[in-house]
Amino acid sequence: MYQKIALAIAFSPRMEALISETKRLVQLFDSELILIHIGKKTDELEAKLDEIIRKTELDSFKTKLIWKEGKPVKMIMQACKEENVDLLIAGALKREGLLTYYMGSVGRKIIRKAPCSVLTLIEPKLDSTVFEKIVINGTQLEITPHVIAMGIDFSKIINAEQVHILNEIKMYGLQMGTASEDSEEEASQTRRELVQHEMKYVEDILEKIELGNVRPNIKVTGGRWAVELARFCEKIDADLLVVGDDHKLNFFDRIFPHDLEDLLSTLPCNLLIVKN
Amino acid sequence: METLNHKEVINLLLQLASILILARVFAEVARKFKQPAVVGEIFAGIILGPTILGNFFPGAHEYLFGAHEMTNIAFDGFVQISVVLLLFIAGLEVELHIVWSQGKKALYIAVASMVLPIIAGFVVAYAFPEFLGVNINDRIVASTFFGLAISITGLAIVARILMDLNLFKTSSGLLIIAAAMIVDVLGWLIFSVILSLSESGTEGLGVWPTIGLTLLFTLVMLTIGKGLINKVLPWINKKLAWPGGLLSLSLALCFLAASFTEFIGIHAIFGAFIIGVALGDSEYLTEKAKEILHQFINNIFAPIFFVSIGLKVNFITGFDPGIVGVVIIVGLLTKYYGAYFGGRIGGVSRKESVVAGIGMSTRGSMDIVLGLIALENGLVTEPLFIGLVILAIIASMSAGPLIGWARNLKI
Repeated sequence: MYQKIALAIAFSPRMEALISETKRLVQLFDSELILIHIGKKTDELEAKLDEIIRKTELDSFKTKLIWKEGKPVKMIMQACKEENVDLLIAGALKREGLLTYYMGSVGRKIIRKAPCSVLTLIEPKLDSTVFEKIVINGTQLEITPHVIAMGIDFSKIINAEQVHILNEIKMYGLQMGTASEDSEEEASQTRRELVQHEMKYVEDILEKIELGNVRPNIKVTGGRWAVELARFCEKIDADLLVVGDDHKLNFFDRIFPHDLEDLLSTLPCNLLIVKN
Repeated sequence: METLNHKEVINLLLQLASILILARVFAEVARKFKQPAVVGEIFAGIILGPTILGNFFPGAHEYLFGAHEMTNIAFDGFVQISVVLLLFIAGLEVELHIVWSQGKKALYIAVASMVLPIIAGFVVAYAFPEFLGVNINDRIVASTFFGLAISITGLAIVARILMDLNLFKTSSGLLIIAAAMIVDVLGWLIFSVILSLSESGTEGLGVWPTIGLTLLFTLVMLTIGKGLINKVLPWINKKLAWPGGLLSLSLALCFLAASFTEFIGIHAIFGAFIIGVALGDSEYLTEKAKEILHQFINNIFAPIFFVSIGLKVNFITGFDPGIVGVVIIVGLLTKYYGAYFGGRIGGVSRKESVVAGIGMSTRGSMDIVLGLIALENGLVTEPLFIGLVILAIIASMSAGPLIGWARNLKI
């Protein structure tokens, strides 16, 4: 699924935990690992990194180190492109402060600008996170069939216990408000059809996917998908949320946030952003 | 404080009852013919007003709508509130995340579908002001107003049509909906600015201050205002009666915003619209709450407004076939081709652009509000306003069958 996984490291207190988490995923996906550090290469830092690699027992044959100097986000993106990375792993804080939200933190900028899929870990652990409960965004978007397929593949490989696919009824209020011109029976029928339509959308996508042992639970909500996904993840205490993104987010998106940007402002759990 | 006397109270209650009953009857008739309720409500107004009732039963019409001046003032208050609430609900319908999700295609369609009618409407009205019935003393503003009035899309109407045709969730449907939302926002922004240019508009605030204030108010409401709404709404949802607390405070907020924009020299309805957008875009305003607000406003206040149009205007004496013909031809063609070419420029397929063109030509809500404001401000005459109403009726009645036809085109 992922042939090359990259991890951006910054010698922060969470670095060791991030490398542990990455190591587990690299083993599960049988991938190559690329460690990227943006900053001056010094003997001290090299020694420190060697020590952590030894400690976490990374496979040195399948691990590549990249040292680059320059603007962190720009250089990480460049390294990902040069190495044809499929998945970039990054740490991020759960909540963005107002200033960070508008100015952006390195973690969030990476998420917004990455050319490949990004796995954001909000609480990396030394003994690795077990992704038991996975939630996939099933909202009708162009990228959704791909997101569901990737989410299911991910769930199969890491052997997730529960997989939920959430789909929203777009503009439910407007549609049902409009349906108030109809009789009670017709309005109820409209309501039923709205739900069935969204269920069928996800079912049709799942039909084309090899599910293996995964038994996804389809749930339909009314409201904005980012908010509903965040609420649902918090409610079931999900380990991972899988969403798609097919365009780069910029500063303007933060002034007038849309769904993905809403989601990034407060991450409900670990987040896998699938990109085309 | 002056109050209505016994007879005036009875008169007001009879006015409201007759309006709501007849509006309901004709909305049901419209429903039977698969037409939007608004068409029936406008017809109800024509029947209750000087056109039919006043013509054939002048006594009854006089008793209902002409006997008590104080009652009519009180009723006008209801109409004013209805217009404000209509704009509030129009704002609630605008969902910015839907607009973002559709991206540039929707923007091209929206902008092109406005630019062409505005330019064409302006040129026609400016060239033939006496014939068309725009205020010659306020020629530029009145001509722009006419152009703007024929450039609006009826979002609620097109939503209904798309739902009936099972197109609401398709890419074409969402594209039309998003474009119509953009038209709404742009339309009311432009409206606020050009009304300030009118000599009969604001209290001499001036053009640039109005433009600045309008943009500032919009920006503040959609950023800081929305942030505050996001802080307050969860508390309202948790601590107060639901949906009672939310409904009363939402309307209070709407009236506050409307009075504020009126105070600073922008029309009241702009404040109602923008607060509607800010509130509707809040993640804490549940879809259920939106549904209740829709039902409450669309079935009580919208009929009062649409019926009141027929009460204000005599559709027989004011009917001018030449004006109506020009308004319909210019209105339909420019809106259609604007949206069509906008779609093509945005990379939308020919067939989808045709569907978008027809869908964007749907009218029947905000354009009538705009026309009425222009009429009340002396920018347009009664025959031109009638032309705009007839354009709205024809456009909303024909959109459904035309979209159905366009979907089967082999192009």
